Amino acid sequence: MNAIEVNHLKRVYRAAIGVFKRSIKEVVAVDDISFSVEKGELFGLLGPNGAGKTTTVKMLATLLIPTAGNISIMGFDVVKQANEVRKRIGFIFGGERGLYWRLSAEDNLRYFASLYGADPEVSKKRIPYLLEMVGLKGRGNERVEGYSRGMKQRLHVARTLLHDPEVLFLDEPTIGLDPVGAREFRQVILDLQTEKKTILLTTHYMFEADALCDRIAVIDKGCTVALDTPGGLKKHVSDLSIVEMETFGAPEEVLNGIRALPFVDAVSVEDQDQRQLLKVQTERGAEAVPDLMAALDGQRVGRVIVREPTLEDAYVRLVGGKV
Amino acid sequence: MNVLTKNLRLFWQGTMLSYIALFAWLRPVTYAASKIVMPLAQMLFFVFLGTYATNSNNVDFYVIGNAVQITAVSGIFGVTMSVGGDRWAGTLPYLFGTPANRVMLFFGRAFMHVIDGTIGVVIAFIWGVTLLGLDLSHTNLPALGLTILVTTLSTCALGLLMGCLSLITSNVMFVNNTVYFLLLIFSGANVAIDKLPAWMQALSQILPLTRGIAASRALVAGQGLAEIGPMLLTELGIGFVYGTLGYFMFHWFEVVAKRRGSLETV
Repeated sequence: MNAIEVNHLKRVYRAAIGVFKRSIKEVVAVDDISFSVEKGELFGLLGPNGAGKTTTVKMLATLLIPTAGNISIMGFDVVKQANEVRKRIGFIFGGERGLYWRLSAEDNLRYFASLYGADPEVSKKRIPYLLEMVGLKGRGNERVEGYSRGMKQRLHVARTLLHDPEVLFLDEPTIGLDPVGAREFRQVILDLQTEKKTILLTTHYMFEADALCDRIAVIDKGCTVALDTPGGLKKHVSDLSIVEMETFGAPEEVLNGIRALPFVDAVSVEDQDQRQLLKVQTERGAEAVPDLMAALDGQRVGRVIVREPTLEDAYVRLVGGKV
Repeated sequence: MNVLTKNLRLFWQGTMLSYIALFAWLRPVTYAASKIVMPLAQMLFFVFLGTYATNSNNVDFYVIGNAVQITAVSGIFGVTMSVGGDRWAGTLPYLFGTPANRVMLFFGRAFMHVIDGTIGVVIAFIWGVTLLGLDLSHTNLPALGLTILVTTLSTCALGLLMGCLSLITSNVMFVNNTVYFLLLIFSGANVAIDKLPAWMQALSQILPLTRGIAASRALVAGQGLAEIGPMLLTELGIGFVYGTLGYFMFHWFEVVAKRRGSLETV
């Protein structure tokens, strides 16, 4: 039995628009997503903003009812057997909210332990253990309002492990954390994997997914577009090279000109203060550089390098260059 | 640990911690102001306005009416903040993602406010006696205490019903303010019920506080528990109906929020 089974999942949101002349607008957040996760596996869910990642996690966590399709967690249906599912899962959504800021970390954990029906004697030992595990030893009696974002995120991990769940859903858990905090958090995730937890992780950070996940599903526009190991996904771009070009304020029409070149597969643009970093995927490798320079049409160009593709490049190709 | 013990523990922890977590009034100065200054301000306002407008010496009518009505601060605002505060704290998804008993989760949010509201009314009565000449020498004080408790319970039950609205809307404080001010009139706190138009009298009969205030006035006038007993039982019954209705709405709104995806909307 797989820990998680998702079959043809669909979720449509309906929103009323207008005051006097009301009309219903339907937004398809998840259209057709299927995947399964084995026990003890660390599974990644990647996709651009609005692809349906968080909506999928909410349905997995019994917080949202699917419009169609079904999900089972450890053999239990998330709609019909929601309480059985809740006993076996823990979940975290990115961001600082979701804790009682005026309570201490210990009181937060004590309250959530009672919500899960945990034995007080067990909680008495488990709460200090979890606080130590997430690096908050000695800070448990402080009010959460004084915690940094990273500390709150780690407290969320402790909260979600109170009832020792078999399956964890981590929705962009490192978002907004500083590099040190994010690294510490990734170590916590790796520690959880050694405890044989089944983990589903959504993230925007490709290196994070590459380093942590056993398998990854890439979703776009609410559909699964690829599902493979990080190495398998990279093979999607094994025929390509990546030309990285540093530019300074290149206008959109120039970038569109590059996108339109016949030998260019995909282009992503990262804005870095005054600079832009263009990542051009092409089969021609270094041979493409002169034509790309010509297409930049006199724009100021800094560093230019040609390199092998990464998971991020595979992702860009799969979601059509939308980064 | 058996199910009953687990649920009682959940009730108690939910009661204490949600009160501390969500009720900013625990800051001593703000709390003291809400418990001591506000009841006095409300009583002074209505006592002087009422006696001036009616040109009669009926201070006790306004003192008792407003002293008991003050329980609505905890019963309506406090309870709603406790239930609705989870939306602002972003904890609703985490609460509804647990297998916790929803009855304990729901009613646990109100319990501290019953105590808090009762204390508020007692303080208001102390103001009435010390500053406005309220005479309790002929009053059955234990019966008055019971009346205050029962009235606070039924008002908190209405607050639970109001609090449920916060699961599907973020505009619940507007509704609460409206309810609080309507209670000032409809409960008979400041206008005798028999002076109200028929439709308002009918509405006042299905609200909490109405019988609690009437029973308190009767006790201060020297009547005993036997005379006001039926009023107290009806007040309790009204509280039970609002509490039950509130729980079913809480359950229903949880389902609606999961259908709509509105658990995290702020």
